[in-house]
Amino acid sequence: MRTLLIGGGHSAYFAANAIREIDPDGKLIIIEFTSEKVTVLSKTFPFAEVILQGIDEVEDYIRNNGSILDAVIAATESDALNLRYCKIAKENAIPLTIAIINNPLNLEIFLKEGIRYIINPYSLISIELSELLDSPAHILFKSPKTRILLASVKVSDSETLAELKNELTRDENVSAIFASRSGEVTNLLREFDVGGRLYLIGEEESVKKLLKKVRR
Amino acid sequence: MEVSVIFPTKNRERFVKRSVKTAFKARNVHEVIVVDGGSMDRTVELAEKEGAKVIVQSSLIYPGKGVAMRDGAYFATGDVLVYLDIDIKNLTPAFIEKLAEPIIRGEADFVKGFFERAAGRVTELVAKPLLRMFYPELASFKQPLSGEIAGLRKLFYKVEFEKGWGVDVGLLIDFYKMGARIVEEDLGYKDHEMKPLHALTDMAYEVAGAILRRAIRDGKTDSKWAESYLRGVRAMDLGFGLSGGEA
Repeated sequence: MRTLLIGGGHSAYFAANAIREIDPDGKLIIIEFTSEKVTVLSKTFPFAEVILQGIDEVEDYIRNNGSILDAVIAATESDALNLRYCKIAKENAIPLTIAIINNPLNLEIFLKEGIRYIINPYSLISIELSELLDSPAHILFKSPKTRILLASVKVSDSETLAELKNELTRDENVSAIFASRSGEVTNLLREFDVGGRLYLIGEEESVKKLLKKVRR
Repeated sequence: MEVSVIFPTKNRERFVKRSVKTAFKARNVHEVIVVDGGSMDRTVELAEKEGAKVIVQSSLIYPGKGVAMRDGAYFATGDVLVYLDIDIKNLTPAFIEKLAEPIIRGEADFVKGFFERAAGRVTELVAKPLLRMFYPELASFKQPLSGEIAGLRKLFYKVEFEKGWGVDVGLLIDFYKMGARIVEEDLGYKDHEMKPLHALTDMAYEVAGAILRRAIRDGKTDSKWAESYLRGVRAMDLGFGLSGGEA
């Protein structure tokens, strides 16, 4: 796979390491805007080709190399630039365009512009706080490529437990694992009990329907 | 030449509609960009409704005017960028044209606007003395902290944007250092909301910091002297407790 990673800051550092692990034989090109950073990045990521480009030149690079790029990841420290580069990548039919945003408040703006794959590094804050603070029900993970959802539900009373068991028996699109308060884990419906947490995985609509019932 | 007008803003729903509309009426303006600092009101919604391109600044720091200005520059596609405060109550297309036209005519690369009013305390007591000391060629600018500026977009990509209130004086120094042709333009009278007094205290410190960082970079002073000066700014009595609120 031939991946273009734009940016040499915080997000790009983690993205470059992840790409190396996911696709060790692939070709990674990193674009940065300052010569000092290019020197540092070349040493940090010897497996990548690190090139220096001006802000506007990146757009020409994407246009000129569009036919040989498999993915463009915009991970600069400016969401304005990330959006600009993602739009150029889409216009040039790059198979996979990904934005790593700096400010979650830009999520809707990126979606409106047709950017489908947006990584929001801050999304974990609310997820992990929900889990740690024992919220009644919340979504843990939504696959960006499929309609698969993983959610966490607190089984707080026998009525909720009965409802969940009933729904899980009826709906084949959702599977569940139960973690008791003492930390024991089971997928056997009969062993689910009040006080623990249920982890639901399944098709998005089905899981959301279940969450709605529990929240009600 | 195409002009992009950029409004860095936060919680300014009262001014958005009129300012964006006015900006679109100015000659050569092909896009209006609103860079929002995380508004809790309808600023973003109203800006979009008026046809502005909207982006939220990349980090929600306070003060983050420089981050917003940088994002605006990166988002823009025009040849000339014009930056304006969105809360100018008497904004007219002429404000924008006066800022952009010296560049369009090829007479300047960077234009600093100034207004008919006495310069504020941060300007007179902090910015000008430091400019006289390290960049005397810039000390004659009437309002070096003015946020109404214009410049060639490509040149904005070569300078360093301070994150906060130091951005305007920082840009002035950086454009000067790169050899850009800079002119001052009289924009007449500006009717706008004053900054709160506590913001002026922060501003004094950040303006001094922006000038001193550049003075160190350009070999005009050392960090020890700069640190001691900044400590002095923190302790300085600029009379902010008395009245007013103009930079």
